[in-house]
Amino acid sequence: MHRLERDPEVESILVLDVARPEGAKVEFHRVDLTRHDAEGELTDALTERPVDALYHLAFLLGPIRDGSLAHELEVIGTMNVLTAAGRARLPRLVVPSMTAVYGARGNNPALLREESPMQGCPHSRFVTDKVEVEGQVRAFRERHPDLRVLVLRFAPVLGPSVDNPATRFLKRGVVPTLLGFDPLWQALHEEDAARALHLALRADASGEFNIVGRGVLPLSGIIQQAGARPLPLPGPLFRAALHTLDMVGTGTLPVALLDYIHYSWVADGERAESALGFIPYHHVRDAAAALRRS
Amino acid sequence: MAKGVLGNDPFQRGAASRDGGSAKPGDGTKEASAGDAKPARKEAARKSAPPAKQPARAKAGGGKTSSAPGKKSAAAKAGGASGGSRDSHAAGDAKVPETAKAGGRKSAASREADEARKSEVAKAGGHKTPAAGGAGPAEAPGRKQGTRAAERKHEAEAAPPHAEQPAALTDDEAALPLREPAAPVSPHSPPPPRQPVLSDELGARTPQQREVDHALAEALAAEVAEATAKVAVDEAMERRPGEEQDVDRLMATEMATEMAEAAVEEVLEHSPSTQHPERERELAAAVAAQVAEAAAEVAVAEVLDRHAVSRRQAFPEEGDEGLEERAANAGEGEEEGFQDTFDLEAEAEGGFGPGEDDEEVPFQDTSGLELSVTLSVTEQGTRETSSLEAEVEAPDATRDEFPPGRRGPLSLVPPPDEGERPREPFFTDQVREPEGPRPLAQRAAGMLSLARDIAGQALASEGLGRALGAMNGLMEAVRAGLGTGGGANIDEYGKDPALVEHLEPVLEFLYSQYWRVSVQGADHVPQGAAILVANHSGALPYDGLVMSLVLSRERPDLREPRWLVEDQVFHAPVLGTLFNRLGAVRACPENALRLLDEQRPLVVFPEGYQALSKPFAERYRLKRFGRGGFVKLALRTGAPIVPVAIVGGEETSPLLGRLPASFLGLPYLPLTPLGPLPLPAKWSVRFGEPIGMEGLPPEAADDLGEVQRLTERTRESIQGMVQSLLRERRSVFAG
Repeated sequence: MHRLERDPEVESILVLDVARPEGAKVEFHRVDLTRHDAEGELTDALTERPVDALYHLAFLLGPIRDGSLAHELEVIGTMNVLTAAGRARLPRLVVPSMTAVYGARGNNPALLREESPMQGCPHSRFVTDKVEVEGQVRAFRERHPDLRVLVLRFAPVLGPSVDNPATRFLKRGVVPTLLGFDPLWQALHEEDAARALHLALRADASGEFNIVGRGVLPLSGIIQQAGARPLPLPGPLFRAALHTLDMVGTGTLPVALLDYIHYSWVADGERAESALGFIPYHHVRDAAAALRRS
Repeated sequence: MAKGVLGNDPFQRGAASRDGGSAKPGDGTKEASAGDAKPARKEAARKSAPPAKQPARAKAGGGKTSSAPGKKSAAAKAGGASGGSRDSHAAGDAKVPETAKAGGRKSAASREADEARKSEVAKAGGHKTPAAGGAGPAEAPGRKQGTRAAERKHEAEAAPPHAEQPAALTDDEAALPLREPAAPVSPHSPPPPRQPVLSDELGARTPQQREVDHALAEALAAEVAEATAKVAVDEAMERRPGEEQDVDRLMATEMATEMAEAAVEEVLEHSPSTQHPERERELAAAVAAQVAEAAAEVAVAEVLDRHAVSRRQAFPEEGDEGLEERAANAGEGEEEGFQDTFDLEAEAEGGFGPGEDDEEVPFQDTSGLELSVTLSVTEQGTRETSSLEAEVEAPDATRDEFPPGRRGPLSLVPPPDEGERPREPFFTDQVREPEGPRPLAQRAAGMLSLARDIAGQALASEGLGRALGAMNGLMEAVRAGLGTGGGANIDEYGKDPALVEHLEPVLEFLYSQYWRVSVQGADHVPQGAAILVANHSGALPYDGLVMSLVLSRERPDLREPRWLVEDQVFHAPVLGTLFNRLGAVRACPENALRLLDEQRPLVVFPEGYQALSKPFAERYRLKRFGRGGFVKLALRTGAPIVPVAIVGGEETSPLLGRLPASFLGLPYLPLTPLGPLPLPAKWSVRFGEPIGMEGLPPEAADDLGEVQRLTERTRESIQGMVQSLLRERRSVFAG
């Protein structure tokens, strides 16, 4: 947002949100994507003020208490956005996603390319929704081949001002891990993430892109870099405890994380580099260390 | 160490007996002063003391010399003399030879029964209590000050008669400082084997630099020592008004300074000077100051002692007094010094930080410690005694507290020898006494430092260092396997070069000594991308690791090889993670293509998991080569196929049985003789002629017939090599 504002070539920013942000170039239009008439409103807003690009960033990252609300926002909201964008003939649509959609599986290749199947994570509604959103976007792109639709699959974004499942997981003093497993993780510094979004504004490309930081670290390495200590727990015990906690409803750790701390899910950022010109500045170490400093 | 040598010294025996003797009254007086200080009056005490003391002494002596009861009487007599012969000098003198003998034997006995002695001493002290109480605490509360005052009075009185003799004295004294200063430290001179350690460490700084550092530190220390000594001596002298104060002062100062310098030299010699010249200087200065301070007391006492010795001809009892005072003061002073030194050591240890630097410190530590212990004992024993004597102000009781060995020469040996004599016992004391009432903590500290010393030496030896490195690497591997290893530099396939480097000693041992891998035809492996197809063998997939070791050793010109392992290994908890860190990559076309694109040699085991699970009887009979994935890969990339036969892996971890392990996500858990540990079978690896893909288009990958043909060709080639290797092998383990 601030980066966009600093960009001299950006004349104005139309923000469609439920709350008004600060900024000189900001024009605000209140849209609640969860409402049934959101699509009409969006279309109106977009035709009223034709924009060059639309960032569909309306995703929840906080702890998801209300699964159905999240689902509404993710799936139905995206549906609204896509329809409105199609109606308004938006030249460019940027939808962020995450590398977690590939799913962490034992049979993943060492580096996941964009063509790899999105196996998702059956335990996580969040990831499942994301996979569904990606499916919608892909269908939309096929329907509108003249529009540029970019899907940026971010590795876990870490940074002092980010709050997402990964940062919450790593910000504990002691992070439970699975005994005998130390999967490779990637991470993206928040600055790199913002830069990637900005690059997507002008990139002459379309499709999915893995946006990952430099290098990989084993989970224990990331945990140590983030200033915490890994606590390896035997798998069955950990699994049972987590499921129990989840059932009780005090889920401090999403069950979905089990997959991700079990197997590697390393995405190949090569295409983002060649097509978007995105080269991460920060190593995974720095991203994790930034978490510690915050 | 020095104990054995000095044990032969007759003087030392005397001294040894003295510490037994001096320790007793010390204990006794303490109790006495605590318990029955008030009722005992001087007169009463004088009468009651002799009879009370005698049995006590006898008992003590008997306890010590229980192995030689014949000496008991002598000891008892000596004890009696000490208690009761104060009225006649003659009696005391006459007994001297006898007592000396008894003392000598006693000391031998007591050395054997060091543990027993403590309790004995305590008992003796307990018995003596009334007597000591009677003799000592007439003016109990202010006793110490009183003693001092009395002694000083003696000194003042004694000085005049003795004023004519300074010339004669200076001879003795000139000789003295040379030996005296070195003495407190010299017993702890470093054993030769430690030298190499030192020189190893000093590698960081050149010898010249080191010398300069040392010289600087020494100069500084000398200055500090002189200044401190001067002040301390002045202080000490102030407390003892005497006649030749100026001469004494000078001499004492010099003596103290020299002592301090010697100590500094000693410290510097052992100090870990490698990286910290400033620290060394600091240390030197601090040591100098403290030792000088401590030594000043001793020096003053020594100087005054000269007078006392010369005086002794006329007034033996007063001479004793002087000596005693010297000893007491020495004890006191040195103890102070020690306390500081000890602190210093602690600091130094902390400061010089981790690793081998610590090795040097312990000597100092021990020496300081020993010194301290001895001296504190001396102080405890002697000062109390002296105070006791001073109270009584009678000649013979005092004298008898001293070792017969010292007392003998008093009357029998001409004065010039005296200079040496009192010193010998003093120092032997130091060496003798460490087992005395040393506090448990200090003893533990001593043991600890010794242990650290030994550990340090062991560490310095190459073999153990390597073993330790290997242990370290293994620990790291275990941590990595458990998933707590961290690791900051891991490539995208999961290999951790740092871990591999740490494990290098282990791998090297396995490779060249445990498995004795022999390699044939390693130059068949072409540059660039190549697919090395090998037979899988053994229940545990060590073969991939061995292959990567072979390639990195035999063909360092190639890029770092990787090997593909089947999914199942990756599903295994610890094993999968560990293998991944060591360079195993999950077998899938994407990974293989990527690795070949990187122009690496790629090791594949097309038999796959079924090869690991084949029974021992079918070992080395190659299984079906999967679906020929590696051939498709070779056709697509044009990389040549190099058949490789590995023999030995089957015997390294023969499959004895399978344990169900579905709960771990594994089809089964292999049952092998040593668990995950391999057996020391000899490995042979033979590389065959590469099978080139020239003339075959990439599209041939879709031609199943072609793929089948190539697969079979590779398989036969490997099987043939395996058979010939097996034929050549005479013994599984010896090769």
